[in-house]
Amino acid sequence: MGDRLSGNQPIPGGTPIAAWAWVEVASRMLGRDEREAVLGDLIESGEGAWRAMIAVLGLVLRREAEVWKIWRPWVAAFGLSVPCSFLLMGASISASRALQNIFGSSAEPTANPWLSAIPQVLLLIGWSWTGGFVVGSLSRRTLWISAVSCLLPCIFCLTRFRIESLSPLCLWLFLPPTVWGVRKGLVIGQIGRAPAILLAVAMTLLTIPTLHSHGEPWWNPPRWLCALTLTWPAWYLAANSTRNRRKSDTRHHKRWRDGEPTQ
Amino acid sequence: MLGEFEYLIVTSAAGLGDKAYGAAIREAIKAATGRNCSIGALYTTIERLEAKGLLTSWMGEATPERGGRSKRMIRVTGEGIRAAKQFYDSVTRISRGAAWAID
Repeated sequence: MGDRLSGNQPIPGGTPIAAWAWVEVASRMLGRDEREAVLGDLIESGEGAWRAMIAVLGLVLRREAEVWKIWRPWVAAFGLSVPCSFLLMGASISASRALQNIFGSSAEPTANPWLSAIPQVLLLIGWSWTGGFVVGSLSRRTLWISAVSCLLPCIFCLTRFRIESLSPLCLWLFLPPTVWGVRKGLVIGQIGRAPAILLAVAMTLLTIPTLHSHGEPWWNPPRWLCALTLTWPAWYLAANSTRNRRKSDTRHHKRWRDGEPTQ
Repeated sequence: MLGEFEYLIVTSAAGLGDKAYGAAIREAIKAATGRNCSIGALYTTIERLEAKGLLTSWMGEATPERGGRSKRMIRVTGEGIRAAKQFYDSVTRISRGAAWAID
């Protein structure tokens, strides 16, 4: 890109090449074709570097703002990343304590530590993975906002971590399965109907015992709300896969009815 | 129905014919209205009109006066022409009898 500036190609009269280079850098936030057209228009119109920079940044801002006109990035960033990161840090602590019981470093050992630890670890992985998957598939272009929305609570809690028997890094136990889920969500976007339903049912079954602890009534609204917040991504995946399957069946049927070849 | 700015873009693109692209449309709008048209407003509106099927665009040739950059060429579709005509007819009808309207 810089080659074009140093060659025989004109840039608007009197504009220093260095200033125009900043416009080029800012224009990298645009798509390739759009960058080409916009920079060409600015050069042809003889805009100075300052006005060109405002024009490019204005277009970038408009493009970013357009992404936020739909519900998906809002849900991904503020409906999922923020609340789930707080709750998953709590789940990470619980799972870490359960693992401590197994490896004998706990101050309060339990009778059957495996029985308590396995469901907790499975739930932590399931909640984190499905949450990450939904964030990755809901809004790719605003993924960095969702990532910041997840990391800010993590840093906030890390600075206030006061449990001596656990490493502060235990708070972030949920991050590896979350990152794995996000990557999967970005790559495949959706999962099949049967695995999605199976996953949602399995996670709900694993979640049910967490709704109740000894000495507490079954109906505990905060506990149910936490469970619902962490489980809804799995049911969203199940509902989405069912809806997509139905759409695909309708298209297939329509093609068959119209006599077009079907795959 | 088209908005005012959308109408300006469709009409200037139709008027420019095969020479319709970003800078030329901006120039035409400025000449007609006396107002500067920002690149951001122009390209986001072009994309919206394209999504509505009123315009089509493709990357054209690069020219030396553009620093070797390609143009984004614009063509108004039949649907775009119908939408612009509908806007024009509506404005003409509602303007009848207005003090500033010329018979």
